[in-house]
Amino acid sequence: MGKYFKKKISLISFLFIPIVYFWDPNWLEFLGVQPYWPLFWLLPWSMIYGSFNGLIIGLFLGLILDSLSLDSSFTQIPGLVLCGIWFGKLSISNNIFVGHFRFGLICSIASFFCGSLYFFQALIKYWTSDNLVLYLPSIKNIFAQVFITGLLAPLICSLLFRLFQKSKGRDKLISFIDE
Amino acid sequence: MLDIRRISTNRWWNKKKNWGLFIFLSFLFFVRISKGSLYKDFYYLISKPFWPGQYQREVLTKSVEQEFLIRLKQLEKDNKRLREILSLQRLSDSESISANVISRKTGSFWRQIILNKGAKDGVEIGSFVVGPGGLLGRVENTSLFTSTVRLLTSPESKVGVWVERIQMHGLLVGSGNDYPKVIFYNKDIDIKVGDFVLSSPASTLLPPNIPIGIIQSVDEEFKAKKTANILLLGKPQAIDWVQILKVEI
Repeated sequence: MGKYFKKKISLISFLFIPIVYFWDPNWLEFLGVQPYWPLFWLLPWSMIYGSFNGLIIGLFLGLILDSLSLDSSFTQIPGLVLCGIWFGKLSISNNIFVGHFRFGLICSIASFFCGSLYFFQALIKYWTSDNLVLYLPSIKNIFAQVFITGLLAPLICSLLFRLFQKSKGRDKLISFIDE
Repeated sequence: MLDIRRISTNRWWNKKKNWGLFIFLSFLFFVRISKGSLYKDFYYLISKPFWPGQYQREVLTKSVEQEFLIRLKQLEKDNKRLREILSLQRLSDSESISANVISRKTGSFWRQIILNKGAKDGVEIGSFVVGPGGLLGRVENTSLFTSTVRLLTSPESKVGVWVERIQMHGLLVGSGNDYPKVIFYNKDIDIKVGDFVLSSPASTLLPPNIPIGIIQSVDEEFKAKKTANILLLGKPQAIDWVQILKVEI
């Protein structure tokens, strides 16, 4: 059982992303904003399995998270797909401190990118209405999310990266292309 | 004979990997089609041991003075009688459903809470949710055990409101932060900081006169409109127990 769990750790952890998304613990808030959880999983996974797999899993993640949120007019898919591709092109640094710092920096940039894409969708939707100005306070949310995501990323991403790297050799089931 | 065996073992359905991928994709498809119901119900089950206990509910109930309650009930009776005479929309006579908040997303763009009562308990889409303080939002989605509420602070939320002092209607729009805005389509109105905002008596979605918030600041006039920031009385980030109420149409 333990061996099976270790083998499928990436798949099992993928299925638990929506649970963490619901859980959203208050004590991890910064200015009332939570980190952008899917990036913590997507970054190490895409770095190990490459851009194409990152694209596919980014799409799946977006589909699931869109299903769970009520805002049907906006989607998280483009941000996660593009991040998946980008993360797949990155390589891990040999220096442990640089590696941790890079996780934080990459997740912050990706969080900014995903948040901005989501915000632009709102801007486009309300472009014609005079109420556009009302949505400008949302910019604060983006920056708060960038900060808290970047702060937690080194811890969570490096842990997941090590777990995925160990399980990679054992199982290739969720790799969508043969390497 | 050897060739036939080799071809048959090369068929896609004989590969374990393809079946795994097929099951995974079917799962994703199911999650998408069911709008995450499976996840919401699963989350309901695993979070059950951590829900706030009975004690918290009692503290909230006791905080309201008995005298105030009696007076309020008398006023409600009068209000109901008068609304019946005028044939206006009113609350359902059936009992409200008490529910516990099991998940909340009150920051960022996604502003919703998930309650531990769903279709099984008679919760319907369109029911509205009140907590200590006032209105919180409307039920937008239900699964068997849970219901998802769009909060008033969500950018997608738009609700008709009424400012009691100046007897004026406005539109409450979520702006993605904790302070939704009220738009008044008249720049000459005399709104002041501290005015009470209630649900509009003319609203077709909500019952009338439910407390929503207090005007916190008034913005500059813009294109024949006036906007004001609202401090909500109900705090979704702190509330654990809510009431789900139906609107009688």
